[in-house]
Amino acid sequence: MNLSTFVMRRLLHMIPTLLGVMLLIFVLFNWVGGDPAYILAGKISDPKQIENIRTQLGVNQPYWVQFWIFIKQVCTFDFGRSWATNELVSDVLLTRVVPTLTIMVPVLLLETILAVLFAVLVAYVRGTLTDRMVMLGCTVAMSISFLVYIIVCQWLFGFKLGWFPVQGWSDSFITNLVRYAPLPILLAVMVDLAPSLRLYRSFVLDEMNHDYVRTARAKGLSENTVMLKHVLRNAAIPILTNVGIALPGLFVGSFLLEVFFSIPGLGREVVESVNRSDFPVMKAITVYLAVLTMLTNLLVDVLYRWVDPRVAFK
Amino acid sequence: MQNRPLPSRLFCRNDAAMAQPALIKTFAAMLLSATCWLAAGSAFAQDAQPLKVLRTSFRVAETGFDCQRLSDVYSNDVCAQIFDTPLEYDYLARPSKLVPSLLREVPVPEQGGLVYTFRFKPGIYFAADEAFKGVKREIVAADLEYSIKRLVDPAMSSPNSWQVDDRIVGLDELAAKAKKDGKFDYQAKVAGLQLLDRYTLKITLKKPDFNFLYVFAMPTLTPLAHEVIEYYKDDITAHPVGSGPFKLVQWVRRSKIVLERNPEYREEKLDTTYANPNDEWDREVVKSIAGKKLPLLDRIEIYPIEAEQPRFLAFINGEHDLLPETPPSYAAQVMPNGKLSPTLAAQHVRAFVELQPELTYDSFNLDDPVVGGYDAQHVALRRAMAMGFNRGQEISIIRRNSAMAAQSPIAPGIVGYDPTFTAVDQDYAPARAKALLDTYGYVDRDGDGYREQPDGSPLSIEYKISSGGLSYLMLSQLWEKSMRAIGIRLNIVTVQFGDLIRDQKVGKFQLTGAAWIADYPDAQNFLQLFYGPNTGSSNNARFRLSAFDKLYEQAIAMPDSAERNALYREMNRYILAYVPWKLGVHRSYIHLMRPWVKGFKKHPMYHSRFKYLDIDAVAQQAGHQ
Repeated sequence: MNLSTFVMRRLLHMIPTLLGVMLLIFVLFNWVGGDPAYILAGKISDPKQIENIRTQLGVNQPYWVQFWIFIKQVCTFDFGRSWATNELVSDVLLTRVVPTLTIMVPVLLLETILAVLFAVLVAYVRGTLTDRMVMLGCTVAMSISFLVYIIVCQWLFGFKLGWFPVQGWSDSFITNLVRYAPLPILLAVMVDLAPSLRLYRSFVLDEMNHDYVRTARAKGLSENTVMLKHVLRNAAIPILTNVGIALPGLFVGSFLLEVFFSIPGLGREVVESVNRSDFPVMKAITVYLAVLTMLTNLLVDVLYRWVDPRVAFK
Repeated sequence: MQNRPLPSRLFCRNDAAMAQPALIKTFAAMLLSATCWLAAGSAFAQDAQPLKVLRTSFRVAETGFDCQRLSDVYSNDVCAQIFDTPLEYDYLARPSKLVPSLLREVPVPEQGGLVYTFRFKPGIYFAADEAFKGVKREIVAADLEYSIKRLVDPAMSSPNSWQVDDRIVGLDELAAKAKKDGKFDYQAKVAGLQLLDRYTLKITLKKPDFNFLYVFAMPTLTPLAHEVIEYYKDDITAHPVGSGPFKLVQWVRRSKIVLERNPEYREEKLDTTYANPNDEWDREVVKSIAGKKLPLLDRIEIYPIEAEQPRFLAFINGEHDLLPETPPSYAAQVMPNGKLSPTLAAQHVRAFVELQPELTYDSFNLDDPVVGGYDAQHVALRRAMAMGFNRGQEISIIRRNSAMAAQSPIAPGIVGYDPTFTAVDQDYAPARAKALLDTYGYVDRDGDGYREQPDGSPLSIEYKISSGGLSYLMLSQLWEKSMRAIGIRLNIVTVQFGDLIRDQKVGKFQLTGAAWIADYPDAQNFLQLFYGPNTGSSNNARFRLSAFDKLYEQAIAMPDSAERNALYREMNRYILAYVPWKLGVHRSYIHLMRPWVKGFKKHPMYHSRFKYLDIDAVAQQAGHQ
């Protein structure tokens, strides 16, 4: 099967998957989502007002009508306005995704590069004191809550040492990247590095035990060539899978980082929309994440072929 | 002045006679030039005075600035800086006192509290906005009429419509018609809203109400320009246009709100009539801002920061000048033993401690067959539970000593609050609670450590809380522990916030926690939570006692007086007798400010009053350096 046929087939497969996701969101919202009318009605409200709000929101229409409206919204990319703030949902997504990506893209890049680099290095010195110390460090780092990292490092680097601002965000992308983003990025990399390093080390070790590595060495290839050209290339497929799984996460950001550093990103928006039973925002974010997940999976599958030409499209 | 080039001959030695006076002239000219330059420089320096910028934070993010559509404290607070209200509370008077703002005077109740006439000051204008197409737009009485109508427009689904619902003659009928027709007729005449002339609006109520005027000090009932509402339509929430002291110039949702001085703001100065010379905050306010034209700040930057640590550190770090509502977890650090910490005192930081006009409470459902009812047995159960709850631990552990035990359902600082009124039966007394339960037959029959009901059936009570609230979770755990100690089985049930509100409104609970913040400074705002006809709207306890309701109806038709306070006291006694609530606490907050922030005095009815604040910009710059 050639690439274009493969991509077309996968895109068609996405339609029933997306419908399933939408049905799940719809059922979950109506089952456990909370009643938005009571939140919107304010502290003094009577049953008539509640009913009026439910009519305005359309939540007292038959379920099939509500689901049909949902389908139309997904098809037209128009999710209407937030029930809580009356802001256009498209604006919510567009304005919040930039701060989120400003933090999360550097995090993913740095974390992947550093984790791969260290993984190759410690795998190469497997069993030595260095390897053991790094693994111990990773285990300790993974045992500490992200919240502890944030609280301690914000106090230490932001307040005590004054290396970074304690919190904040501006309108300028450059200011954000240079001034406000470094500490959250540093923290996220610190936290994400340990599990990735351990995982990638095991991928590299798996490859190092294969016969082709012994053969390459027997042929007299340099250790650099063996490790970087042969071992790393073969370990790249599981690494790519892992990075691919993390890709949709870029777009939802980190709730804790966003709350503690006052970053107006999507992570805070997701949690707030759930708390407020703001279904239009919840719907839009979930659908958009589902689509992103499917697209990144497709991208990763295509990249497999690029990394390893032996992989065939089926 | 001219500064011509000097002729070279002036410096010729041979022409000394001529040169001497010429030199003097030249020197004089240079001196004059230098003086002019210095003067110009000094004028420039005056123009280039540093801007007075106040940076502060909100502990909860705002949602928008269509103040009629939103009801959260922080959005309303920003609206209060942008919109002028017909009335406002005097900055210094305590207890709170209504004074005119857009009106010429506070309307006098006519026909026994049935009619109010609002007379607007002429010559007050909305801030310039593109919606007005370059025309200066004066505020007139019709703008308030429009605003009142908009509040009940069914399309708005306003959470603030209670402020006028079932009050103004003909208004509810217009709203009902709009609901039927699907369109609100803003041109329709309403009998209770009568425009007497360009600046006068007469409002007629369905029944006498002496607390009616309070709602006109809220930003929800500010005069609105219909042109602005029609121009911005659904985006009105991002385009607030009022006549207030500040204008919204930048809004990064949930991240940054920037307000700047409204250059067209009306002539206003601090009224010192009610200043208390014995109050150090009043003295400082008068000294700093009396006689100056308001507002004094050029720019206000507000940063919503929901996490406690960064909000606190931003102030300690000097990034912010004012820290309203210091996070309770830092209260002990900021004011150990009730005194400002030496570190902060050394930085000349000032702290304003405010007991807020609010209270927390736990509400029983009086319709519930187990905890409800008005007979002696069920009242005894509720009273025993109220006495069995360890409120001392709530204050010391959960509230970190930043709270005061409530003695009545009315908050301090509110008209009708009686500081001498005590609720002994709500004090922690587990032995008395056990004795009361034993007396009424709530005893442990099967020896499992928990009591059964008098008829022998199991006694198990649900305490309903919303998910996500740490303090409510801690409170529910304290309830469970306290009840276990007196032999009552209490189960904690956690639901979504929206569902909790629904369950509270429809009476699907046995015991639940809540808090009430005063909307206006009168005890009626608290006591309406027990008024029978309010069951299903604000009376979540579903307390229906005709004797109480009669007193309530009597009180609402009376002006503030000793007689009315006596009625309030009597109503309090009914509440203590029937125990629809376990009274909680009145929470206090510490507001911190840098020494260069001037004119601060926290008003109980406002989150902030930026128009009275000033900044010593030179001291601020020096402080930052």
